[in-house]
Amino acid sequence: MTREMPAAVPAAGIDPDFVDVRAAQGDRAAFGALYRRYVERVYGYCFYLLGDHHDAEDATERTFLAVLGAIDGFRDEGATFRSWLFRIAHNELANSLRQRQRRRTTPLEAHPESAADADPARLFGEADEARRLREAVARLADDRRHVIVLRFVDGLSSREVGAVLGRSEGAVRVLQHRALRDLAALLARHH
Amino acid sequence: MSHLPSLAERLDRALDDVLGGQPAAAATAAAGLDATARPLVALGGDIHAAMPSPPVAARFEARLGARLADAAHPRAPLAWARRNPGRLIVTGAVGSAAVGVGLTALAVWRSGRRASAPAHRLLHR
Repeated sequence: MTREMPAAVPAAGIDPDFVDVRAAQGDRAAFGALYRRYVERVYGYCFYLLGDHHDAEDATERTFLAVLGAIDGFRDEGATFRSWLFRIAHNELANSLRQRQRRRTTPLEAHPESAADADPARLFGEADEARRLREAVARLADDRRHVIVLRFVDGLSSREVGAVLGRSEGAVRVLQHRALRDLAALLARHH
Repeated sequence: MSHLPSLAERLDRALDDVLGGQPAAAATAAAGLDATARPLVALGGDIHAAMPSPPVAARFEARLGARLADAAHPRAPLAWARRNPGRLIVTGAVGSAAVGVGLTALAVWRSGRRASAPAHRLLHR
């Protein structure tokens, strides 16, 4: 399956979303272009981190409403629009995970539909290999899982991932290396 | 002094190439990594292939689109005011004058009523 990768940030540092962001700052009706471009990616980030379809929709909704409310304040000073967008999504994810911890008074078995939604194999209907890989990603430590999803699902550069997670580009590269090593070990153990 | 890229840095470069569609072997070699790093580079491509963005429910996408459109409208006057500061001043002045005229008319009407109240009471005694 081929997938459109997000446009790479040009070496000159020009944000590929610059024109649309400027349009949306002048007229919020123009925000639709950014919404359509990123709704799937933000949803994907939320889905792979939360593992639940409904929670991912809630977090995606809160993210876009927050982005629309704050878009006038966005200035492209070193960070791209999409790293800013994903940083807001990252904060919403943290809120969702906190809420989930507070709610955790009922056993997981009480939510059978959530458990079914949490299995992306049902959504994609794909092979065991891919499922094993996703299960291994789900077992990674939180910071490594964020790096893997942002980098390989959402196609952000290491610099952008750093801007999302509040880390340096070098730290993200090291995390990425460790995450891939951990994943390889997990896959080898379950082979 | 030339900067020697670290292993993590070279791996990152190879992963960029793999995500750009290059085969893992070529990306590994181009980044100056030895063959032992190739499985990690290939793994990056495998993750990308195995974890596509899940489909967003059409109903959810439409509902959120509508909410965003609603949220965008109340802010529209603000954007208009920013674009037309001169018109905002005129609108404000006309609005203030209208409020002033309205308050004056109310005060005149109330004082007229107060003045006629004793006569009204006398008539109905």
